[in-house]
Amino acid sequence: MAGALSDLKILEVGEMVSAPYCGKLLADLGADVVKVERPGVGDPARTRGPFPRDEAHPEKSGLFLYLNANKKGITLDIAQPEGMELLEKLAAGADILIHNVTPPDMDRVGLTYDRMKRVNPDLIMTTIAPFGLSGPKRNWRAEDLTVWAAGGVCVLNGGGPEHADLPPLKTFGHQAGYQGGVHAAVPTLAAAFARLNGEAGQHIEVSVQEAITSQLEMTFEYWPYMKMIATRLGQKPIQPVETMRCKDGYIYLCCIEEHQWRGFVEIMGNPEWAGEEIFKDRLTRALNWDVLKVFLEEWVGQHTVLDIYRKAQAKRVPFAPVSTMGDLLNSEHLKARGFFVEITHPVAGTWKYPGAPLKYHRTPWEIRMPAPTLGQHNSEIFGGRLGLTQARIDELKRKGVI
Amino acid sequence: MAKPPLSGIKIADFTWVWAGPYCTLQLAHLGAEVTRIETKTRPCVTRMLPPWPDGKFDSLNKSGYFNQYNQGKKSLSLNFKHPEAKEVAWRLIKEADVVVNNFASGVMEKMGFGYEAIRKVKPDIIMISLSGYGDTGPYHEYVAYGPAQVPLSGLSSLTGYKGFPPMHAGFSYADPNAGVHGAFAVLAALYHRKKTGEGQYIDMSQWECAMGLLAEGILEYTMNGREPERNGNRDPLMAPHGNFKCQDLPEKVMDMTIDRWVSIVCTDDADWARLARAMGRPELADDPRFKTLQARKANEDDLEAIVTEWTRPQRFDEVAEKLQAAGIAAAPVADNKYLCDDETHIAQRKYWVELNHPEVGIKRHAGIPWRMSGTPTAVKAPAPCLGQHTDEVLARLGYSNAEIESLRKIGALD
Repeated sequence: MAGALSDLKILEVGEMVSAPYCGKLLADLGADVVKVERPGVGDPARTRGPFPRDEAHPEKSGLFLYLNANKKGITLDIAQPEGMELLEKLAAGADILIHNVTPPDMDRVGLTYDRMKRVNPDLIMTTIAPFGLSGPKRNWRAEDLTVWAAGGVCVLNGGGPEHADLPPLKTFGHQAGYQGGVHAAVPTLAAAFARLNGEAGQHIEVSVQEAITSQLEMTFEYWPYMKMIATRLGQKPIQPVETMRCKDGYIYLCCIEEHQWRGFVEIMGNPEWAGEEIFKDRLTRALNWDVLKVFLEEWVGQHTVLDIYRKAQAKRVPFAPVSTMGDLLNSEHLKARGFFVEITHPVAGTWKYPGAPLKYHRTPWEIRMPAPTLGQHNSEIFGGRLGLTQARIDELKRKGVI
Repeated sequence: MAKPPLSGIKIADFTWVWAGPYCTLQLAHLGAEVTRIETKTRPCVTRMLPPWPDGKFDSLNKSGYFNQYNQGKKSLSLNFKHPEAKEVAWRLIKEADVVVNNFASGVMEKMGFGYEAIRKVKPDIIMISLSGYGDTGPYHEYVAYGPAQVPLSGLSSLTGYKGFPPMHAGFSYADPNAGVHGAFAVLAALYHRKKTGEGQYIDMSQWECAMGLLAEGILEYTMNGREPERNGNRDPLMAPHGNFKCQDLPEKVMDMTIDRWVSIVCTDDADWARLARAMGRPELADDPRFKTLQARKANEDDLEAIVTEWTRPQRFDEVAEKLQAAGIAAAPVADNKYLCDDETHIAQRKYWVELNHPEVGIKRHAGIPWRMSGTPTAVKAPAPCLGQHTDEVLARLGYSNAEIESLRKIGALD
């Protein structure tokens, strides 16, 4: 059985994470994705790693290999007029063009929806930009950290009142990129669905900052509703909702509802202190956290992660281990579900990667091929799909267009 | 005027808390008719959480949290203790294209609304469950709460200051992440159904969905057998790369001093030379301690101290503006007040939604992070009050006024 999106032809001009992750989501459900990279250096994700044995190599970057499996790869310099013309030709035969060329670079090379629409009125063009395509910050330079911060999540994470000097803390990796990518995949696929209902192609613009601001939990509304600022320095309203050290690692304690606290107290063997008035409900436990913490640290520190986790879950108390990478790779649950997938790449070798984020019962999520080496499919795409002669391809190579 | 892309698509929304509602929010944004199945006997958790406009919990309809993530949806109140209420839900399911829930695995089956039961009466239904652990595997019945999914996913063990214990993400990140991936999954299933007429079931584990965001950490382990070291805001290939302290907000808020920071990244040596000039210390560009990336990484504590010395007396937004003018990636580390009050960018892009809600009036809410040129999308209505659309939905499902009254009398609509 073919994937749900196996009839979609996608062109991706994507670097690092946002557009490539959007392309990956579609490719893993069967879409035919052709990834366009700059000649010579390719996608900067190729420099990021992690690399086997820490040896940097453009065909061995873990981040690149993860994000770009299932795609065909070509090289094309769209900063040259001949490069843009070839991009137009490719767009003429595509359903969707996804890109994260920055707005100033779009202006510089002349990448606009109007231009693409002329060659293909049914094309869906999705532009992922850090601050969107309008407004005074349109041309702001951005890196993953600065957009994550500008979206309003960074300020929520960090040392807390006892370490106010430590800065607002980023979450590991390239989270702004991932969120930009998945929030772009949603309207892109909606536009493809609309096309089945007779709509034409269209331009979709996604602001990564807005994608992040869209997921601030209840914290954003604290200002318009109550004129309160949500920060990492505030006291938690409910306790215990904390990471704590066990004998052999860390566990996340999570007593949001009262029955969860009662379950935890039973697991601890109903110690006398738990009956104290100052711990009577979730609010007083938060107010007296400095005292409660000492009692809990003593008990938790004498037990193993797995012991507490299993006992808590048996009482429907939603504790969770602070998983290390080793814990994930060795998890019996994830093994039983077949989460991790092995991908063999001709240069990088065979490694285990994160697998399907969702399981369809009918249409498959599958890895059909590894990430492309730089320019691997140039002949197939330029020769086969666009019908260029070998002489013309050689000429474009000499000019550095391909 | 073109219609939104999902006009005519109906969603039976059994979701609650955050992950599920974030999924159906995307579908509502795209124009689907989303009907929440709620009950007064056990209201959605977020209806009972702050913020509330008067600072106190005196209504199930005033929570800013609920009102943010349920914009544009309808609310039908049903008490499943009554078989008549279940019959209403069945009629809603029969009319629907998609059923969404985010209970723990198996709960929908216990309620009588499992996929197999639904498929019997509606073979082309699309159903998605966004459970914590997925439908299979030894832990499939484990309970998952938003904040605990971040450490479970592995993100916490990778996040934190150097030498400190694992940290959180600061919000229940795995929830909206699962929600938006769930919306993507539903759209792919709708696309497939349009092509083939086939519906299907989608089993989504919030845990697995979050692990897709940390491939770099997982591959460090699979490739090199190593747990990545937590390293604050720093980056191996860029320096400076961090958040730097600026002037505090001049006024206190709720007796708290609000500290403010600016995020700055230099991607290469040329960026560093620009930053040195912008700081009025051009000589630092050629200083052997900082001239190359390798040197800046070796002296990163000193580097950060020098940048902080410059940023500390300044306003965070002014530093960001200055550095952007110099061609450097920088941005204010935004808090909710700054985002909401700043009229210079997001507001000009018309991202905020300000609709009149019957109990809280006009409050600023986060809107839609995309713009579609051909099939424009907009938030249609504020979040519903509990049961606000019960009569309207029942009428749509073919109930007469007399039937609605009798359902109400027996308590089936509580």
